[in-house]
Amino acid sequence: MRIVWLFLSPLIALVAGVLLLGLSRKIMARIHWRYGPPLLQPVIDIIRLFSQRSASHGILFDLGIVVSLAGSLIITLFLPFGNIAPLSGSGGMLVILYMMLIGPLGIALSGGESGNPNASIGISRNLMLAIGYEVPLLMVLLAVMTRYGTISIVEIVRVQQASTWSIASWPLVVSGLAYLLVMPAMLGFRPFEVVQAPQEISSGPMVEYGGSYLALVSIQHALSLYITISLFVNLMLGGSGNIVIFLFKMLVVFVLFLFVNAVFPRFRIEQAVRYLWRWPTLIGLIGLVLVALVGR
Amino acid sequence: MDRNQLIKWLEAPAKMGHKYSLHAVYFCTGCGIIEVPPSITARWDAERFGVLPTASPRQANLFLITGYVSVKTLKAIIRTYEQMPEPKYTVGFGSCPINGGMYWDSYNTIKHLDKYIPIDGWIAGCMPRPEAIFVAVTHLWTLIDKDMADGYKRYRKYYSQYRANQEKVLLGLEWPPLFPIEAG
Repeated sequence: MRIVWLFLSPLIALVAGVLLLGLSRKIMARIHWRYGPPLLQPVIDIIRLFSQRSASHGILFDLGIVVSLAGSLIITLFLPFGNIAPLSGSGGMLVILYMMLIGPLGIALSGGESGNPNASIGISRNLMLAIGYEVPLLMVLLAVMTRYGTISIVEIVRVQQASTWSIASWPLVVSGLAYLLVMPAMLGFRPFEVVQAPQEISSGPMVEYGGSYLALVSIQHALSLYITISLFVNLMLGGSGNIVIFLFKMLVVFVLFLFVNAVFPRFRIEQAVRYLWRWPTLIGLIGLVLVALVGR
Repeated sequence: MDRNQLIKWLEAPAKMGHKYSLHAVYFCTGCGIIEVPPSITARWDAERFGVLPTASPRQANLFLITGYVSVKTLKAIIRTYEQMPEPKYTVGFGSCPINGGMYWDSYNTIKHLDKYIPIDGWIAGCMPRPEAIFVAVTHLWTLIDKDMADGYKRYRKYYSQYRANQEKVLLGLEWPPLFPIEAG
């Protein structure tokens, strides 16, 4: 049974991520008072991209995407998904912390090989933004780990199921607030859409991707959306013992940040990093100190 | 997606993908580009047809030539067209790319664009309304369905002639040929 879930859970993550992408385009259209594309438009795009001819820019250009995609697929195994957790018993939060950087790093390797100046600007922004949100995220995760005295996500979800959600319990509510503030940056939504920025640097690291390369990048994007939201739901909203309720919680979180995405313009990169290192870091630090003082 | 087309999707997914996911490269020439922002935003909403502007020619498969083409712009158009991955579709928008339009006697404007790159369809008018873009898109769907939107194949087949025309008007090109040119 465990072997089956080992193959099935990345697949479910992929389907959920692609559907979230389609839903995001539909909801954004409705907010703009447009009719919007069909829900399966990302699937149509991916089919089209796979059937187009594509140009490679070197061996690292090909390998970088594979590395990034493989990193994202592996994280989905370590994240508990409802009551299914193929590998999360053996890994825990530290593995996810390490693996989460492989996604942007693989894209950076691959985009850097193309030699396009727009791609270089996009990559430097991507890594700078990653440094920006990793600091507050680390404080939030440290607070959660200290509070529950474990690094296992399965254990954290079980404790939350028994008592109450982390975001609703006393000292962790401060960390939860910091987590909410960095979530748009982790998802790459506006006001932190500095990496792609189609109007400025013609879609950043993606500028030289065409055909099946772009299809793989969109699949990786869908997976990273799934991973980010699923980690939030597991740590803060108590996970779930049921797949349907888990997906519903993910949907609620996603739509919430989509509304933020729809109404905000874009930061410049230094404004984004200044914001990330000021408010979420400060609140995350206060949360960490509170958890350390109150104890378990 | 229309449920009646499920059979078609199963028979030829690639062709249907090309039909319903036309990503247009955001390339501005002449005055026709002023009709594109209204057609991709809330008033006319091109996204419901699957038409979306992209910032990079590598990601696109639809090229809208929106207005008169000066000799200098032609060079950029050829470079952009050659960078797009196949299959790719080109649509001339407005009367200027067709025959020069009101610039019919200008010394510095390209009169017949289809001598230099292959065009799959034209939208007549000066200016065409944004609705005309959607008429063109639905017409392009029919052409793709019947394998008649074969501009990229023509470019490959008659590349030596296209290249000769380009070199004649631009007084030489500084990049090597895209496809091998057979002698004679």
